Amino acid sequence: MIAWRRRQRLATVGLGAVTVLFLAYQWFPMLTMALLSFTGPDGGPTFPMRGVSLHWYRELARVQTVDDFKPPMVRSLLLALTCSVTTAALALMAAQAIRARFRGSNLFFYLVLLGIMAPGLLVGFGVAVVTRILGIPLAWYTTTFAVHIVWTLPFGFLTLLAAFNRFDVRLEEAALTLGANRWRAFWRVTFPLVLPGVIGAGLFGFTLSYDEFARSLFSSGPDQTLPLMIFAQFDRQLQPTLYAIGTVTTVVSLAAVALFSLSFRIVRQRTRTTATEPPR
Amino acid sequence: MSTLHARSPLGYLLALPASLWMLAALVVPTLFIVWVSFWATRTFSLSSPLALVNYAKFFGRSTYVKLLVDTVQQSLLLMAITLVLGYCIAYFIVVKVRRPALQLGLFLVLVIPFWTSALIRTIAWIPFLGVTGVINQALLFLGVIDKPVSAFLYSRTGITLAQVSFYTLLATGPVAYTLRNVPPSLREAAQCLKATPLRVFWRITFPLTLPGVVIGQILVFLNVMADFATASAIGGNKYAFLGNLVILLYDSGQLPCASVIAVLLMLSMLGGVAVLLKMVDIRRLGVA
Amino acid sequence: MTGPEPDATTSPMPAHDLELKRVTKRFGDFVAVHDLSLVVEPGQLVCLLGPSGCGKTTTLRLVAGLEEADAGEIWIAGRRVNATPPWQRDIAMMFQDFALFPHMTVGRQVGFGLEMLRRPKEAIRRRVREVLTTFEIADLAVRKPDTLSGGQRQRVALARALITEPRILLLDEPIGSLDFSLREAVMLELKDVQRRLGISFIWVTHDQNEAFSLGDKVVVMNHARIGQVGRPEEIFERPSTRFVASFVQGHNVLDGAVESVEGAEVRVHTPVGGFVVPARETAPPSPGAPVSFSVRAAQLTERPGVEHRNRVCATCHAVEYLGSVRRYDLRLEDGRSMKYEQFAAGAARIAEGEQVTLGWRPEDAVLHLPADGGA
Repeated sequence: MIAWRRRQRLATVGLGAVTVLFLAYQWFPMLTMALLSFTGPDGGPTFPMRGVSLHWYRELARVQTVDDFKPPMVRSLLLALTCSVTTAALALMAAQAIRARFRGSNLFFYLVLLGIMAPGLLVGFGVAVVTRILGIPLAWYTTTFAVHIVWTLPFGFLTLLAAFNRFDVRLEEAALTLGANRWRAFWRVTFPLVLPGVIGAGLFGFTLSYDEFARSLFSSGPDQTLPLMIFAQFDRQLQPTLYAIGTVTTVVSLAAVALFSLSFRIVRQRTRTTATEPPR
Repeated sequence: MSTLHARSPLGYLLALPASLWMLAALVVPTLFIVWVSFWATRTFSLSSPLALVNYAKFFGRSTYVKLLVDTVQQSLLLMAITLVLGYCIAYFIVVKVRRPALQLGLFLVLVIPFWTSALIRTIAWIPFLGVTGVINQALLFLGVIDKPVSAFLYSRTGITLAQVSFYTLLATGPVAYTLRNVPPSLREAAQCLKATPLRVFWRITFPLTLPGVVIGQILVFLNVMADFATASAIGGNKYAFLGNLVILLYDSGQLPCASVIAVLLMLSMLGGVAVLLKMVDIRRLGVA
Repeated sequence: MTGPEPDATTSPMPAHDLELKRVTKRFGDFVAVHDLSLVVEPGQLVCLLGPSGCGKTTTLRLVAGLEEADAGEIWIAGRRVNATPPWQRDIAMMFQDFALFPHMTVGRQVGFGLEMLRRPKEAIRRRVREVLTTFEIADLAVRKPDTLSGGQRQRVALARALITEPRILLLDEPIGSLDFSLREAVMLELKDVQRRLGISFIWVTHDQNEAFSLGDKVVVMNHARIGQVGRPEEIFERPSTRFVASFVQGHNVLDGAVESVEGAEVRVHTPVGGFVVPARETAPPSPGAPVSFSVRAAQLTERPGVEHRNRVCATCHAVEYLGSVRRYDLRLEDGRSMKYEQFAAGAARIAEGEQVTLGWRPEDAVLHLPADGGA
């Protein structure tokens, strides 16, 4: 093989090795945790595993007075679903607003994006301060909800902006020339075509809220969401139940992603046109 | 521009909900934090006079200042590691992998953990790092060491190891995005202009991906500066960064002090964002 | 002047600018270039012409070094360059989308090649100024590519490529992305540059008019092989394969089978009648063998005389007015199309639906055998 091609090949192999090793590095801890969650009743939080069983999962399912993971999980799911819908709706409106290019839309754009850049810690803390000063009580379905949206909205917003970018305005214009008013043109033409973006925004809303804890830490009041409860366990003795709940919650997250992706696919297929792509 | 005329009032109406929400839940709290940080008292008191005393106290305590320095150092370290690692991975997936199916597959495997809880991923590192943990067991098994190394868990190294696994994706993503927008014909043109592969990279590819690199670095910076969970879980009680301090002070009721730290964090954030705005224009990346 | 790294052997013969010897390139199962041999003499403008997928761009990239040949040899200026990377070959390339570096000013990128050759800064500056002036883009020196028009970009790409004084300039459909109105002017400009500089151009295009007006030598390619190499007039007047005949505008191709061979003439039987075609010097076909022949639209007449021994009936389907010439699309009995070019001056227009008898002299047709290849 020629010398310079050999060098190129070597570079590819090297970079590939780095990539694969990193992917393993990223996944191993989670896979280990999942594995350890199946350890037997005598098993501890680390290897070696003593037997294989569903013991710790059963522990989770048991009704307990202390350390019951079920209510927080339910709260987290409800919160996530609400965030999903709210994010999708708000992001859609915000993206449409940007299309109108009103005065100050630049400022608006950065205002929304601020949510991504503000670390959870600060946002959560800020809300805690405000609620303290204004005497607003903290609750997972009010203050935590508000804070979650601040985090999820920018992601949904960017997703929808990208969707609108791919959208061909001429289709809307065609609808208008065919007699539809603006409202109907939007709902019958635009919305179905950007629906994948809406679904994407909903996906972000769900998963980001479901996994969120830094913001929730300061804003959730007496009833905890699931991540907060897990966080509280850090100070305690590490039990495989924690691994079990960790595995369960990860599965829920992945299932949500899969579900959203599936609906994304379906919607895309149904609105696939045979018309030419919009000019870029 | 069709269902919306440009500059129509409808634009303002549509922007209202999101704007109000962001203002109420983000901007206003931030302003409050700044206000509280100037309170001259140590505890909660709405009628408190405003002074710089809390800032003076912060900078007066060497442990606090050391914490600030530590946090910044940790951020810079992570930025450096994720820059190199992230670029290598992005370059491999985008440029070196030919088949689109493989590209997509690799990218999915890379990105999926992002869709799970960061908290869980943090927990997952614990059995890895401990004295009886996987890394030690593997090293013992391979005969690299005789006794388990306790240096992983409850150490700066452990925290760094975990953070690399969390945040490299933040550096990889934007780089991959900008790399995709560099047409192969540019690289080929440079090659036909007597540029060796290394020079093609430094003079053509890398400069064109600079916006992605910078954005990635900023994201990593922001995240590591504010990271407290990793330090909590993996550092145990021995290590803390600024984030942990905020929580500590908040829990013990010292709002003004906590606010000072929060403000300092915000200032460093803004500093980072200022660098970003100078070096790249986000909107030109095709988002809006 | 660049010196390509001396490769294994140097040819003792006087150097062609380029020689491809039986070059083959495969992409997986797909053969892009098959057993291709070609010679380019110094100062020639060679056009690679063919439909998409015929291998012309791959051939160009093989010469550039952007692709590696699976078999065969590539010689540039007397040196074997199979193992030489693009940045060491004595070539330059102009890409279809111009491939201008978006982050560099015009001045910077035109000088890029010289920078890579590590010329002193002052020399580069001087030379860049020279070249920019030559191509009349001196006032664009500090502009970035995204502010330039198509025509300006093309000039920058050209300046950038030629500044290193390459032996061969490779052009991949260089005017394809320009506005129609610009194309002719730019084409002539490029031809002019080639003449003045005296370097070889290898120009890839799918546009026959382009290739025929430009090339000293045209290489018609199809399915990874060369159909015919020659001057435009040669290819036009005597296409050597059925493919070349059908690809080049203005030819009619008829397929049939050999009825008999009588001396220097072959009788061919087709669905629309029997025709006489001159036999070729080599290997006359045997009766029953499938053959084709082509005759040019301009060689037909609608008033066949005694010498126009080949006759066929056709009905007028459509007519195109091309200034001094009318081009008819006539349909034969079996529905096939026949193109007929008629000088408008002095000739009556054939109406649509009108039936005519077309004729041509046997010696005006060219016989094609399947064995010629490139079907």
